[in-house]
Amino acid sequence: MSPTGARGRQDGRSRASSGNRLQRLLALVPWVAAHDGPHIDDVCARFDISPAELAADLDVVFLVGLYPFTPDQLVEATIEDDRVWIRYAEMFARPLRLQAEEALTLVAAGQALLAVPGTDPEGPLARGLEKLARVLGLEPGDLVDIDLGQTNEPVFALLQDAATEHRSVELDYYSFGRDRRSTRVVDPWHVVTDQGRWYLQGWCHQAGGARSFRIDRIADARLLSGRREPFVAAPRNPPNVRYRPDDDQPRVSLALARSARWVAESYPVDNVVEEANGGLLVSLPVSSRPFLERLLVLLGPAARVVEVDPSLGDRALVAEVAARLLARYR
Amino acid sequence: MAKLERLLNLTAALLATERPLSAEQLRQRVPGYPEDRASFRRAFERDKDALRDMGLPLEPELVPGIDPPLEGYRIRQDQAFLPDPELEPDELAALHLAASVVKLEGVEGLEAFWKLGGVGPDVTPTDDGTPAVSPLPADVNLVVLFGGVVERRSVRFGYRGLERAVNPYRLDFQRGRWYLLGFDLDRSEERAFRLDRMDAGARLYGEPAAFERPEAAVPGLRLSPWQLGEEEPVIARVLVDAVQAPSAVLQVGDEALAERHDDGSVVLELAVTNVDGFRSFVLGLLDHGEVLDPPELRADVVSWLADLAGLP
Repeated sequence: MSPTGARGRQDGRSRASSGNRLQRLLALVPWVAAHDGPHIDDVCARFDISPAELAADLDVVFLVGLYPFTPDQLVEATIEDDRVWIRYAEMFARPLRLQAEEALTLVAAGQALLAVPGTDPEGPLARGLEKLARVLGLEPGDLVDIDLGQTNEPVFALLQDAATEHRSVELDYYSFGRDRRSTRVVDPWHVVTDQGRWYLQGWCHQAGGARSFRIDRIADARLLSGRREPFVAAPRNPPNVRYRPDDDQPRVSLALARSARWVAESYPVDNVVEEANGGLLVSLPVSSRPFLERLLVLLGPAARVVEVDPSLGDRALVAEVAARLLARYR
Repeated sequence: MAKLERLLNLTAALLATERPLSAEQLRQRVPGYPEDRASFRRAFERDKDALRDMGLPLEPELVPGIDPPLEGYRIRQDQAFLPDPELEPDELAALHLAASVVKLEGVEGLEAFWKLGGVGPDVTPTDDGTPAVSPLPADVNLVVLFGGVVERRSVRFGYRGLERAVNPYRLDFQRGRWYLLGFDLDRSEERAFRLDRMDAGARLYGEPAAFERPEAAVPGLRLSPWQLGEEEPVIARVLVDAVQAPSAVLQVGDEALAERHDDGSVVLELAVTNVDGFRSFVLGLLDHGEVLDPPELRADVVSWLADLAGLP
């Protein structure tokens, strides 16, 4: 947490220095008052305050009380023998209610971490969340539900351990783009969730470079023993997991009916043109032919290929794919 | 320094009083306000804003028994304070770890831990191995909507060009997107709304606890596409070859796995209430999947493909 002083907030409002100190004091005072002379180091660690700042704040607290400020109406705040004492602060009996932003931080973070495979659904995090939700008047799952993505738990656990211990693994991986299974030897770095999916980031020896593998496409993973090659360590800044199309990927131009407009929202299309009938004309970068085949077969009559890069096929490619798949049924 | 002292004394006065106190009474009771009337007004307004910013409910009320009517202020203790959640140290530490590991983009809220009694210093997430959670995307309306969910207050927002009014039940994060689940007051039914389709400026209205939440859990979005329908469920069997079998089983769940063959292929059994969703699933498997039965679902896929192929 940052030290005292003005702190910029992402939403553009900046907290005045006295506002932030006030927030902290309104939490610190009831806590200290409720505990029997806690040690100054404990107070400073808990409230992220230096001993000098604490002393200065307690000097202010000493001047706080209720009208007419006779001695019996003043808060007493002292530091003696490295212990902090606050008395006669009944009007600050409890810390303030959680604001929406604060509650959201706690509930969303807690629910998200609970969604990570391997987190004990009955452990301290779950119990803490439940207690918190109770003071908010609800069950935590009733407020916010977080799904970070599906995964195969044993594979997930193995990859986590392998990453921690810097051990190479062999993966049985289904490549969506190439539409086939292959075996890869990978030095795992991190397991990360992004945009609702789980990924393994690591060094792929087959590809000779850093790669992200979707964990739900890893059919099996095994620890490798007896490898003589050194483990390729994670770079300081691991590459972004998110797929970013590059400029020289082949494009397809599609005329989408109104019912297929969702394509423009779900895929990184460039060049969107509204059509009179409520449809769209879009240009879509294509990472691989199977990706395009899936999309077109799924959309069916809701999409028409206007133009396609020759490397991907010709405009009749939908009919060809459909005929190929149909052969299985006839 | 002086301002901090004044704010603390103002808060103390507002919390301790039974009757609302007028601005004039507060000026007399709270040290540190300027003598000059206009300066006092300005300072008092700023102080009220500071307290409201911290979430303290501070609205003017009429002081009872005074004529002509006089506005006063007080903070009701039951509205101001956080009841003690009685967290054990390990529970508090777990929450702190969660908040350190999982960030919600653009949402700052670590002051929450001060209100929970702060945390011990040795709570650091380990590196390597510990699953990293990329910052969850947040949305400009997320905090407001969450407030509505917690307080059970209705919310209004612009959605695809129309103004909507909803009783918010829950927020879901699925497939990398935020959804609001709630009761659409215009259409009188439960709906899910994507936050990235909402206009900025969603606002709460009405009183807290304005509605009850449904008894049964709102089904939300964990249903697969072929389950999202009103049709009578039909049991379909799908053959998936060895290449796609593992990811297909992961997607539909072990309970759908009916047979496993020696060559690595599998047969899945799915309860289908939405034919379009089912067809999309099967076609997504390309050459690796085939509908075995029932005949009508198999025929549906065949006629879809035949139309696309330009064949009879």
